[in-house]
Amino acid sequence: MSHTLSKPSLGSRVFETVFLIAFGILNLIPIFWGILTSFKTASDISQIPPKLFNFAPTFVHYKQVLDSGFLRCVVNSMMYCVLSIMLTIVVAYLAGYGFARRNFSCKKFLFSVVIIGIPLSGGSSTLLIPNYMAMIKMHMINHWYTMPLMYAAYHLPTSIWMMIAGVKGIPVELEEAARIDGVKQRYIITKLLPPLMLPSYAASALLVFIGAWNDYITSSVMVSRSDLKTVQQIIYDFMGFYGREYGPLTASATLAIIPIILVFTFFGKQLISGLTAGAVKG
Amino acid sequence: MEKVAFPSFALEGKESVGMVDNNNNMQKSGFWYTVPAFILLLFFLVFPVFNSVICGMFQYKYMNKGEFMGLKNYIWCLTDSTILNSFKVTFLVTLFATISSVVIGLLLALWIDKKHGLFSYMIEMVGLIPWVISMVVAGILWKWILNGDIGLVNYLCALFGTKTVYVFNEPKSSLATMIFVMSWRTVGYAMVMLLAGLKGLDGNLIEASEIDGANSWQVLFKIKLPLIMTNFLLSLIVLTVSNFTNNTIPRVLTNGGPANATNVVTLQQYVMSFEFYEFGRSSALSLLVMLATMVIIYFYMKVTKYEL
Repeated sequence: MSHTLSKPSLGSRVFETVFLIAFGILNLIPIFWGILTSFKTASDISQIPPKLFNFAPTFVHYKQVLDSGFLRCVVNSMMYCVLSIMLTIVVAYLAGYGFARRNFSCKKFLFSVVIIGIPLSGGSSTLLIPNYMAMIKMHMINHWYTMPLMYAAYHLPTSIWMMIAGVKGIPVELEEAARIDGVKQRYIITKLLPPLMLPSYAASALLVFIGAWNDYITSSVMVSRSDLKTVQQIIYDFMGFYGREYGPLTASATLAIIPIILVFTFFGKQLISGLTAGAVKG
Repeated sequence: MEKVAFPSFALEGKESVGMVDNNNNMQKSGFWYTVPAFILLLFFLVFPVFNSVICGMFQYKYMNKGEFMGLKNYIWCLTDSTILNSFKVTFLVTLFATISSVVIGLLLALWIDKKHGLFSYMIEMVGLIPWVISMVVAGILWKWILNGDIGLVNYLCALFGTKTVYVFNEPKSSLATMIFVMSWRTVGYAMVMLLAGLKGLDGNLIEASEIDGANSWQVLFKIKLPLIMTNFLLSLIVLTVSNFTNNTIPRVLTNGGPANATNVVTLQQYVMSFEFYEFGRSSALSLLVMLATMVIIYFYMKVTKYEL
């Protein structure tokens, strides 16, 4: 019994392979099937047995989706992502520097606010109603800056935590040496450290991008003007228009996951290291 | 941390000149670096919470503040049968979805930990895909696959002679499907977090215990699991919060139905606010949900032992 796990027998190898295939299928089949469906005509979609590859692909659903204002929402979501990434990185980097390199009186208290925010920012719908009420009060609903500010605020706690780790990873001696050479603090902040912080910037940018691009619930209450809607919002709206017509629905779903899959393919490693940074240090 | 040899040597004589720790004004300036971040957090995290403490104590009709209610909104929330039912559903969903994804994630992590290079990286990537795609998309895709008349799953079931199942028509199967989709989404996340813990373990320790005659089960239960406890609890807590407050998957998949069987508390909140415009009551309910979340976050802070 004792060595069955360290020297895989044929049985456990078969089990492993089956398990792996099942895991892969379970994770990928909804996406695969969705992409396939998006290229079928309405009559091919309702065929039983379902057609695997024996159908003539059509772009009719894509055309339909793109003609219903989908592109506008893609542009909006992209803009929200870029703005919130920039805002988050700058603000979180400064805060991370302050926390990592300085001692000031209310540091402990402020840090605990950041920590409390980390799990909240993951499942942000706890704050949905409070945020909505507050935004109404501040007259900040339905503006181009509404979503970037929200997304930046939601992702700040996690990003600050990542930036603290990033700044701490740079030897203090580097700054001290620069200071002895007469370099101003402004130069240290804006020129000396940023190139060394690139991995932390990348990790935080990835998290913000995924969070902002995929968010539905926050944007659905914060912006309702059609020229401000996000990608996820219009897909949800399509569920209302098209009901059980899965052609346009899967076409819009396919379009919406392309950027995510692209980013994930090229920066997956950075994402994983960013995700696990907190856990490893904890 | 061990100092690198050459700079400390070079700085030996001048250390007092520019040392960060000696200059008091410079230390205090650290506060200003955090100001932009805290302005944002104040507006979007702190102020909203305090604002809804106040809103929760008033009656609201549309956005107009009505009479002062004191704690009546809270009492109403805690006695309304629909809300109590939604809490029950939420606890059920959170419990099963979280536990199943953490347990499956742990099994996967223990298994991949023995593999190396591209293979383990590929599994990590495949595992994380459900987590990186949006919940709206995931909801639509599962709804399509599980469609009763022309869905893929029902076709495959028919091949094995099973009768057509309309999962979204029955309360129990709806709930089970929602739990399944929620844990499907987060298995990869749990796996990656736990794998990071396993990869950080000291290989010598495990080797030594194997030489001392520990079998694989003993290594697993006496060494590996206790050492990745932090990662385990961390992903457990993060996923609990995320499932507890998940609004999008229930909304896309079942929208609370049939017969409120999948009406989680965040959906109930949404309906109270944006369909009945009862913002006083929904603020009170939000604070109750937040209180429950805070309890979980308290454990989160205990586990992480975040230090500056």
